[in-house]
Amino acid sequence: MIEFSHVSASYDGELAVLRDVSFRIEDGSFVAFVGTNGAGKSTTMRLINGLLKPTEGQVLIDGTPTTELKTSELAQRVGFLFQNPDRQICNNTVREEMMFGFKALGKESPEAEVRADEIMAAFGLNPDDDPFLLNRGTRQLLALASIIVLQPPVVVLDEPTTGLDFRECTKVMEIIRRLHERGTTVVMVCHDMEVVADYAESIIVMSAGRVLAQGPTYELLRDRVLTQEASLVAPQMVALSLALGSQHPQLANTAVGQANTLSEMERALGLEIAEGGEPR
Amino acid sequence: MTGFLEYVPGNSLLHRMNPVAKLFCALLISVACFCTSNLIFLACVLIFDFALAAHCKMTRQAMGLAKAVTIFSLILAVIQLLTNSTGMVLVPLPWGYIGTGGVIGAVTIILRLVAAAVPLFLVMYVTKMTDLANSVVKVLHVPYKYAFTFTSTVHFIPVFMNDMAGIMEAQTARGVQFDQGSIVKKIRLMVPLCIPLLVSSVRKTNSAAIAAEVRGFNLRTRESGYKQYPFATLDVVSLVICVCILVVAILLGVLL
Repeated sequence: MIEFSHVSASYDGELAVLRDVSFRIEDGSFVAFVGTNGAGKSTTMRLINGLLKPTEGQVLIDGTPTTELKTSELAQRVGFLFQNPDRQICNNTVREEMMFGFKALGKESPEAEVRADEIMAAFGLNPDDDPFLLNRGTRQLLALASIIVLQPPVVVLDEPTTGLDFRECTKVMEIIRRLHERGTTVVMVCHDMEVVADYAESIIVMSAGRVLAQGPTYELLRDRVLTQEASLVAPQMVALSLALGSQHPQLANTAVGQANTLSEMERALGLEIAEGGEPR
Repeated sequence: MTGFLEYVPGNSLLHRMNPVAKLFCALLISVACFCTSNLIFLACVLIFDFALAAHCKMTRQAMGLAKAVTIFSLILAVIQLLTNSTGMVLVPLPWGYIGTGGVIGAVTIILRLVAAAVPLFLVMYVTKMTDLANSVVKVLHVPYKYAFTFTSTVHFIPVFMNDMAGIMEAQTARGVQFDQGSIVKKIRLMVPLCIPLLVSSVRKTNSAAIAAEVRGFNLRTRESGYKQYPFATLDVVSLVICVCILVVAILLGVLL
């Protein structure tokens, strides 16, 4: 479990980037942090894996304050995927990159190699490829794979879909979804509300270094006051159902007015919409 | 807060000077420091450097630089101490002794390097890189591509430092312990990080070169810039003072 208790943080002891932030993330959950640039999301991620220590309050990982844990100890509990994979990749082959984490933690073993092989096969990565010659999406996949191979119980993702095209984005997010389904706690920062709506179970809305709200994704994304305050744009499906509800008051309290997903909308309208968008 | 070699805005005398004059003044002071070993002269130059830094409200940057140069010059100072066995014996060594001559030599090295480095770096902090490049092109007729290469190099230093910090952070998050072990172990851990830094540097410089080229970089000549950089009274007076400092240093070096 990850727990923030009245946490404030700053860089170089200057202006506070986070102010009195408190929340709790249960084991096995999939939480997304949303908010504008400068809201404090990435700082929160850095606090979770101990790269930054709080100036006030406590960050607890399974009940232990991060101030009492070495970053290398935290690395075994919390895997961190950076926004830019090029800052992470530092080996000449995909295989070496996959094994780098084990080497750093002094956990190289034949079992580790087998696990690396399995993950590379699952991700469609060629062990002998030069990581620096891969395209952006594949480099991001490799960076993610080299984190997952260490099997941390918590995975923190700082904008994992930035710079990826739709197919690459879907591939990365589906892998993350499967990871979550196997019990890994996923904490993600993401600006793409469609991705957040599709994958995150709950969200934490941040603005100007504070937590505005924490709760189920669709419940919060339907809150117009909250989304306005945090300068968020609700996903299209939520916007459509809200618009239907407000334009046609008779629909507001029906399934149509409250639909959050395409399938809900289909059910509410009694339609079955084909993949291409045409009603069948 | 400003980064390494990042322009600090201001309206001090140094800020207002012609960039070329500033550069020459700094060079003259630096050369002067190497023309004499007179400790009083070097101490006076150092005081002058810090007075200038205080005037430009950059005492913090000057102190930071002085600290970094002192650490670097300590290596040379130790060599001086161990190899310059002159003067009164202070500590006997198997191959000679540490003498007063060695101590004075070590102090001279530290003072000289700090006194010579501070004005050069101050010039970088009080001058916009574009002004420095444009002025050397206009006044000294240096081809623009060389001026641009120099300013780009300086511009990229903080960028690469930031990249290196990011890369180290990414590796720390994977369990690499940069804060533990011997210096040899730390160096061994740092070596693999040169690869992503090199890759990102090449990518950045390549992008910058393409971006410059598509905007007509090769068409730029000395006449392209509209801004003029005339020498004012302040520049001439400053240059005269710095030439006097150099002459004094040469005389002290020759006479003493």
